[in-house]
Amino acid sequence: MRFTNRSAILFMLPAAALFGLFVVYPTMRGLAMSLTDAQGVVGGNFVGPANYVRLLHDVDFANALRNTLLFAAVIVIVQNALGIAIASWMRNQNGVRKLVRSTLLLPTMMAFVVVGYVWSFVYSPLGGPINSLLTFVHLGSLQQVWLGDTKTALLAIAATSIWMYLGYTTTIYLAGYLSIPSDVSEAATIDGATGWARFRYIDWPLLAPALTVSITLSSIGSLRIFELPFVMSGGGPAGATDTLSYLVYRISFNAFNFGYGTAIATGLLIVTAVLAAVVTTLLRRREVSA
Amino acid sequence: MSTVASAKEARKPKSTPRLENRQRPIWLRRVRHRLSGVLLIAFTLFMLLPILMIVNLSLRPATDRATGALDPPSHLAWSNYVDVFHQMNYLSSAGNTLLITAASATLVVLTGSSSAWAIARHTRGWTTWAYRLFLSGLTIPVFVLLTPLFVLMRDLNLLDNLLSVILANSALNLPLAVVFYSSFLRSVPTELEDAAAVDGCGLFGTYWHIVLPLLAPATATVTIFISLATWNDLILPLVFLSSPEKTTVILSVYDFLGIGGRFQTAQLFPAVVLASLPLFILFLVLQRHIVAGITAGMGKG
Repeated sequence: MRFTNRSAILFMLPAAALFGLFVVYPTMRGLAMSLTDAQGVVGGNFVGPANYVRLLHDVDFANALRNTLLFAAVIVIVQNALGIAIASWMRNQNGVRKLVRSTLLLPTMMAFVVVGYVWSFVYSPLGGPINSLLTFVHLGSLQQVWLGDTKTALLAIAATSIWMYLGYTTTIYLAGYLSIPSDVSEAATIDGATGWARFRYIDWPLLAPALTVSITLSSIGSLRIFELPFVMSGGGPAGATDTLSYLVYRISFNAFNFGYGTAIATGLLIVTAVLAAVVTTLLRRREVSA
Repeated sequence: MSTVASAKEARKPKSTPRLENRQRPIWLRRVRHRLSGVLLIAFTLFMLLPILMIVNLSLRPATDRATGALDPPSHLAWSNYVDVFHQMNYLSSAGNTLLITAASATLVVLTGSSSAWAIARHTRGWTTWAYRLFLSGLTIPVFVLLTPLFVLMRDLNLLDNLLSVILANSALNLPLAVVFYSSFLRSVPTELEDAAAVDGCGLFGTYWHIVLPLLAPATATVTIFISLATWNDLILPLVFLSSPEKTTVILSVYDFLGIGGRFQTAQLFPAVVLASLPLFILFLVLQRHIVAGITAGMGKG
């Protein structure tokens, strides 16, 4: 194609303008704002790294960081393990495969807030579906105040997120399984590889590309979890489900402490970038060697 | 087949007590396969339970005594839907959301594809850097730029204007489109574009008449993903919009139900259905493209 530098710039101009003005510029301003003590939307004096120093000693920040990482760990591990398991279950079921995949994808089409409301209802302590079900099967002693107990709240919200995106993850791994060359599968079967050995030596290495995609997406996505704690628990009880995004929201939009809020947001950005880089590098290396 | 089986038989270590599935009689294999399929469907239904509950409870009259979540209603209370429809101002909010979604999708498709075409076909140092910039845009959490973005919109006098949501939303979704279109274009040979050039078609003509149609499958997927994200978004409308006539569907659900309060099932669940139904329908019609988008670049699906 005979693009010249000038014509290429011309074609990229609309996107560059849109992206530059509404994403890059505000991000730069945000970073600048984190170096001020801006309260409310105007003003604020330059205070240098004071906000970041405060961040490092802030108990709320440490708590939110811990919760966010915990959310990410639980969601990534459970969702991917389940996704692989279900995909391997599905791979030989040619008949129902597409139906199952589509049904599992339905929750992904719903909005976070909507899912949050529905599952708040599901977790209702008095007569909500889960507690009622437990009573019904004579396990009534296992009833909990799911969203009100510091021990269960985070896991309950993580379970909700997993319900939403399990279909997405399963779809990725199913594609991974189906792209294993058939001659490899046949050779494996002829050589007598079955069950766990087959998974460990044949499937698992060949699923490496799917693993990369899925783990990267699920970790980046789960780090910014906001609407679910926002609607289901308000970051409680006692900060047990306070996440970095929710903390930013509280500090910036409830307390109007924009300078400090943006510093926390920058913290989140750094955590996300570092994790994404680590995850991608580790997984890419596996892909190449596999 | 039998020679393979008997060869395998010969090699089978004598000490293995358990039979492998291949060595079991065929009828047993079929039964296990069927059973596995039935269990898979059972699991899928289990995952579907909350959605079944939503539909069921949305039609339960407010006067029904509160019973189990899956107990059928005494009669189908369609009036629940009518009430919520009016309380949520559904027609107006759906119209706004549709406008925002269509405008964002169009904007992203046009700017994203033109940009991706230049990046994919004109490989220089600076286009690679532009691509990397877009790529990094995928990891930026919206909260980092939300406050300055609010200030910017205020200065542009676009607060409480649907345009602010359209522009911000488009900008935030651009990286996905650019990355998607670029990878799609890299796997497409340039013959058609070169032929167009030979025929004297200008750059823009080539873009409009050759490249865009060529990108149709990618455009379908990009449009779907952007529509999904835009329709379901709470944050941008929450921050930029305030008037009741400018509200979106999800925002009106949030206004309607508030934060973690007590709400009637007769209000909550019709609202949930009304908010989710358009996307469910979109999904059912365009499943193939959605799955293609999810598994992009990974081979069969």
